[in-house]
Amino acid sequence: MNTQNLTTQEQQDSTPQGSNGILAVKNVTKRFGPHLVLDNVSLSIEKGKTTVVIGPSGCGKTVLVKHLIVLLRPTSGEVYFNGSRIDNLSEQDLNEVRTHFGFLFQGGALFDSLSVFENIIFPIRQHNRIKNWRSVEDIVKSKLAMVGLDGFQNYYPANLSGGQRKRVALARAIALNPEVLLYDEPTTGLDPIRSDVINELVLKLQRELGVTTVVVTHDMTSAYKISDRIIMLHNGKIVADGDADHIRNHPHPVVQQFINGQVGEDDLAILRMSGTASQTQFLPRDFET
Amino acid sequence: MFEVLGARAINDIGNIGQFGRFCWQTAAACLRGCWNHKTYPLIWAQMHIIGVRSVPVIMITGAFVGMTLAVQAYDQLAAMGFEERLGVLINISVVKELGPVLAAVMLAGRVGGALTAELGTMNVTEQIDAVRSIGTDPIWYLVAPRVLACLLLTPFLIIYADLLGILGGYFVGVVQLGINNWAYWSFSASGVELWDIAVGVIKGLFFGGAIAVISCYKGFTCKEGAQGVGQACTEAFVASFISILILDFALAVTFKAIYNTFWPFKSLVG
Repeated sequence: MNTQNLTTQEQQDSTPQGSNGILAVKNVTKRFGPHLVLDNVSLSIEKGKTTVVIGPSGCGKTVLVKHLIVLLRPTSGEVYFNGSRIDNLSEQDLNEVRTHFGFLFQGGALFDSLSVFENIIFPIRQHNRIKNWRSVEDIVKSKLAMVGLDGFQNYYPANLSGGQRKRVALARAIALNPEVLLYDEPTTGLDPIRSDVINELVLKLQRELGVTTVVVTHDMTSAYKISDRIIMLHNGKIVADGDADHIRNHPHPVVQQFINGQVGEDDLAILRMSGTASQTQFLPRDFET
Repeated sequence: MFEVLGARAINDIGNIGQFGRFCWQTAAACLRGCWNHKTYPLIWAQMHIIGVRSVPVIMITGAFVGMTLAVQAYDQLAAMGFEERLGVLINISVVKELGPVLAAVMLAGRVGGALTAELGTMNVTEQIDAVRSIGTDPIWYLVAPRVLACLLLTPFLIIYADLLGILGGYFVGVVQLGINNWAYWSFSASGVELWDIAVGVIKGLFFGGAIAVISCYKGFTCKEGAQGVGQACTEAFVASFISILILDFALAVTFKAIYNTFWPFKSLVG
């Protein structure tokens, strides 16, 4: 399997030199102790488009998307937003940059001590001096209406279902009218219908707000539906980059294995080595003396 | 073996550096927060949680410290015929040492544990990252109000503990054991100075700051999962407790030196 050549080629394709890139990472490497999570990744995100990052669990998707907003700083490499380098800014300076972003966390990350209303108003309150509360109530109402949850203002996160929590988190993410929306596994843990609701929401927000969207997912149905461009990460490197058709027909076996949800020979070998079910099963009689 | 020791030493130095940086950021955020009107409601809310809700347990701690001291010390003093000096022994012990230290230990358990558990849970559920992603400094928003509330209210809580300790000692010494009321208070008044009370209260300022900073730091750096949060709470209590003891010793030495330096001038002031 010639992964090295493919990787190099795809990485070159991932860094278009055009002026339409709103976000870019250049030669980013990230290590957590001895673990190499991102290996010299370069990537440019086009303005106003939806880019989906796919890859198996633990391949560095979330780490990559957290670098885009500098929630994590690279071990080496650079991150750019609107042509300006941001990975070397102080936290103080980054706070201003981050107001241009909305981030939907995997579990929603709603503040559980605050109501839905207070959660959505939180970013607005942090960056504005509120004088007219009536207008703020209208803003919260409109943000919640956008995600189909108007009327839930007084609920607390604990009283919401998983899908509702993600939609409220999305309403909070768009509270400051961001230029870039980052989604970390937005459909994980949701049933197929709720997942499709989230997909429709991603498309709706992209269409109506014209935001640049980056979605991290391993849900291929979602990826095909919402993407303008799909990037696949494997072992911290970009192994595929292109539109949905390009990914469907990609020759790389790792890509085909992932998009078709097939278990690899390596994984099968591990399963064979781990013994049969009857060998590993403990029965009550095993503990009898 | 040397490799393991070296790795551990590097890790420990890294952790100390990280804690130092956290303390510095917290101090800067607290100073910034003092001039930012958006911080005041946050401090107010924390004052209620940290201060007001701690009053009953602090008062119980203080009362029992005073009562137990009276029961333990009475026999020894009575054997020498000094039982009327019980008041001075109890009151100086309570206001200078036992009141501040035991109240701080109680706060480390009640408030420190809650702070670590709350912030630790926020950390593992990415709520702290959510605060950062919104463009807000989590140290200013989450840590500074808690530290300021602890700093401001621990001295007051210590005054409560002192007061109840004194009343507890009075109840056992005078009401239960029958020491003369006038003698009890007059010996106390001659033995306990305003300086002694001030030392205890100023200690509270340091203890409160240490408990809050350590507990918040442990919450911010706790590991994933329920076990990570639980471990962080235990570590926060142990570290706070040891810090209280070390600070108590250091402050006792410092205040004694200050007292000895300025003692000759006391008659000029008084």
